[in-house]
Amino acid sequence: MSTTRASIRWIRADLRVRRGQALLTVLAVAGIVTALITAATLLEDGTNPWRGLFAESRGAHVWIHTKDAPDVTALSRLHGVTQVAGPYRTAPVMLTMDGKKSPVALRGMQVRPPSVAAPLIREGRWLRSGDVDGVVVERSFAEALGLRVGGPFTVTALSGASHPLVVVGLADTADQGFYPEWTPGLAWTLTTTLARVEPALGRSESVTGLRLADGEDTLPVAHGAVTLLAEKIQRMSTWREVRASMELDNRLLGLLLALFGVTGLVAAALAIVNVVGGRVLTQTRDIATLKSLGYTRSQIFGLLMAEHGALGLLGIAVGLVCGQIASSFALDGMPILPLSSVPLLSIIGGTAAVVLVAVALPAWRGGRTPPIPAAPAAPPKGRLSRVARLALLVRLPPALVLGTRDAFTRRVPAFLSIFGLAVPMMMITIGLGVWATLDDFLHHPEQVGQAAALTVRPDKLTPEDAARIVGADPEVQAAYPGSEVSALEPEQTRSVLARAVGTSAQPYPFSVVEGRMFAGRGEAVAGQGLLDLLGVKIGDRVRMTVGGTPLIVHIVGRVVEPDQDGEVLSLGLDSLAAKDAVPPQFYSLVLRPGADPAAVRARLLAASDEGLEVHRVVNPAERLEVVRVLIVALIAVLALLGLANLLTASALGLRDHALDLAVLKAMGLTPGQVAATLVTGTGLLVVLGVSAGTAAGASLVGGLIDLQGHTSGVGAGIGRTPSALTLLVAVLVAVGAALLVTLIPARRAVRAQIPVAVR
Amino acid sequence: MSPPPPPIVNTVNLVKIYQNGGVPVPAVRGVDLQVEAGQFVAVMGPSGSGKSTLVHMIGGLDARTSGEIWLDGKRADTLNESAWALLRRQKIGFVFQFFNLVANMTVADNVELPALLAGASPREARERREYLLGELGLADRADAAPAQLAGGEQQRVALARALANRPSLLLADEPTGNLDSRNTRDVLRLLSEVHRDGQTIIMVTHDARVASLADRVVSLLDGEIVDDGAVGPARRRPRATAGDVVELRG
Ligand SMILES: Nc1ncnc2c1ncn2[C@@H]1O[C@H](COP(=O)(O)OP(=O)(O)O)[C@@H](O)[C@H]1O
Ligand SMILES: [Mg+2]
Repeated sequence: MSTTRASIRWIRADLRVRRGQALLTVLAVAGIVTALITAATLLEDGTNPWRGLFAESRGAHVWIHTKDAPDVTALSRLHGVTQVAGPYRTAPVMLTMDGKKSPVALRGMQVRPPSVAAPLIREGRWLRSGDVDGVVVERSFAEALGLRVGGPFTVTALSGASHPLVVVGLADTADQGFYPEWTPGLAWTLTTTLARVEPALGRSESVTGLRLADGEDTLPVAHGAVTLLAEKIQRMSTWREVRASMELDNRLLGLLLALFGVTGLVAAALAIVNVVGGRVLTQTRDIATLKSLGYTRSQIFGLLMAEHGALGLLGIAVGLVCGQIASSFALDGMPILPLSSVPLLSIIGGTAAVVLVAVALPAWRGGRTPPIPAAPAAPPKGRLSRVARLALLVRLPPALVLGTRDAFTRRVPAFLSIFGLAVPMMMITIGLGVWATLDDFLHHPEQVGQAAALTVRPDKLTPEDAARIVGADPEVQAAYPGSEVSALEPEQTRSVLARAVGTSAQPYPFSVVEGRMFAGRGEAVAGQGLLDLLGVKIGDRVRMTVGGTPLIVHIVGRVVEPDQDGEVLSLGLDSLAAKDAVPPQFYSLVLRPGADPAAVRARLLAASDEGLEVHRVVNPAERLEVVRVLIVALIAVLALLGLANLLTASALGLRDHALDLAVLKAMGLTPGQVAATLVTGTGLLVVLGVSAGTAAGASLVGGLIDLQGHTSGVGAGIGRTPSALTLLVAVLVAVGAALLVTLIPARRAVRAQIPVAVR
Repeated sequence: MSPPPPPIVNTVNLVKIYQNGGVPVPAVRGVDLQVEAGQFVAVMGPSGSGKSTLVHMIGGLDARTSGEIWLDGKRADTLNESAWALLRRQKIGFVFQFFNLVANMTVADNVELPALLAGASPREARERREYLLGELGLADRADAAPAQLAGGEQQRVALARALANRPSLLLADEPTGNLDSRNTRDVLRLLSEVHRDGQTIIMVTHDARVASLADRVVSLLDGEIVDDGAVGPARRRPRATAGDVVELRG
């Protein structure tokens, strides 16, 4: 097309004078695309690394830890079991690295990797027959401790003997979760090496994996194994626990991002309409000149589309790159499958369409600019808006009245500006609400069902001794005995967790948000996920098998339940059959306010001579820390969008005013008053937009988080609105920054001598 | 014997009626105007007499209400907006009272723009620009921004831009209306020079002394031609026009 060269000159010249604004557009679009791509990656099914690892390693669904090697033939005959991994002899050893000690399970293996649950070598190599000192380390453990192939791996056996081993490889596995969520760390050596490190058979255990035809059969197989091995079983883990421990709460994160991304896209579209529209308005004269030189309407349209559309598309391209980076950052370098092409293409296509439509509207208007450049594009004026008349009525200073009048002389841009500021502000408020909710999780874990900071299992001690040691600690406020069994509703094929902690008379402080706490035998409270699963309401009675014993459960309340998708039944120990309740499997410790869980844990371990197994309860908010990074990043993007809107509104106001400045001065307004007039015009839009956005965000955020809580099974009752102080500060910062941004050009304009004639 | 060449501009009963909030405002009321190739026509009249409207219609910037416009023997008033734009690109150059240089572009880019628009290669456009700016004494300002130029210089750049495509018709709407006497003299000297080289010019002015430079003065009043006459040869001494202006302006 013959206009191409001329258009390129124009675009280059225009971009040169508004580099900042152009950069703003690119960054804003890039931010939105980044959010959307990260959201889609997180929401896509393949993000949990467990899925890939389990498939690749042909993992075992159930792992059984026994004192001695179990009867493999009997296990393999259990209905649903297809293959057996092991049994492997495993010894607990202590790894000493830089003076720090970390417990490790050292597992004896053969030179030939097993066909089921084979460790997946990622670096280095698998064990060879001559590797008397060789060890292959589970990768997340190695990364956490900074272990490298070829590096030392000095372990101390229970006997106290030290053995200098050498790392020959790093491997991924689906046998257990990632370190440090899952402890102890895992390392593989040849059986001969293991026999040398820990010759005493009594100090080691036997680990056997069962691979099933169908993962859904896990529970019956586990029951079968328990029946078969009975007392020999020390503990058992299933693929569900491994998967859950690897999960980063990707869905919540993804949904949050998607919400931000989609609303951000709306905000970006508004910002683009405003920015391009404002630019076209300020360029009316130049566009008219181009037309007088022979540009047609459609060529002007094409020119504007090319310039502003290209910025948007560049933003999309940058966003694509950033999206990949952000996704891998959010997943913390875990092996992720790249986003498949359908969501990727729909994000690119959708964003491109939104951007192009947003550009097309003002570009179309630009194309219709009349070609007579001399015609001054003065704003419609003369009439005082209703707001301005109100301002006059309440006797505001003249600058305010004039500014108020000007704010609405161009109605559509004024409302677009308000809207364009309100949408980002609303999202910022929602972001702050999510932040407040996370804070609440951390500072008041009891409100999200995590009153206990530590869980203690008697392990090598008797339950009585454990209770005594725990009770003697000064910082333990209360220790609730508890047991976990599986519960099955007759019509359900899937079992759920039944957690008995405390007794009906002295229940564990669950956070009951609906109904009441259980207070008698047979009464129970449930998480939202369980209520939904069973299709029952509070007050219903359900016939269930709890720990193998039939029980009619009276559900009297709903608790906030962050575990197991909310599919947990909580009840008193006295509701369980005696075989499950006595002795209790563990104690849940509620600490005194201000107590440091790590210190208490260390003290309990010391007091019991390492005989107790003490676990810190992981607060779900700790796993959601990445959300905070996200909120900060999104607030930055949204602030950029707001800024883009603001600069446009301010430039438009200035442009409309450039003509009036001399008149205003002639009317007797001081330079200060003139500047105030200019700032008031934009400032009023800012105040309206920011207040509307904050109000909308504050009224939405609690509901949104509760909705998310409901669908994720945690249940409503966790959503928090940011505190009034936070909101006030946010509003003040937004308005203050906005006024500053408008004040600078206003003052410059007032100082500059504007020739009256150039109109 | 071949027929005489058609006039560059021929308007037949040209009428423009603006609608101002429902009230019809007749700006041009039946103008018949022929301009032959190589003529320099000044259009005079008091403010609001319809001078700008007439020139805008001849250049296709404004649509006529009724009547006919013929350019170079071809009917032009029935053209649509894009066809008018193409026509302007090739045949018409505009100079406005307020210069209307594209503020963001350098002087060089402003002058090269029409040539590029008409499909010239960047080299052709550059050569033409260098020639024009050289002729207008602006060669050293090529990389300046329009805002850095004085009013007279800006108008000379606008003139260079208007002439970039060797238009068959140059339309100038009060080209000196915003200039001081020195710059007026410069611009007028340039206009008469290009006219001497054969350029057809229609120039709007309300300054009789400026109009005296033209071959012919058309006077408008309330949208109608009230006087149309060649400037007497006694008043028009060829080759001394610019000096006249200097004398007139004092
Ligand atoms: N866009 C317009 N809308 C309405 N009336 C107009 C418009 N442009 C010019 N007019 C009116 O048409 C008449 C002629 O205007 P114009 O051609 O600009 O006169 P001149 O250039 O001789 O001063 C004036 O009365 C003017 O008010
Ligand atoms: Mg005029």
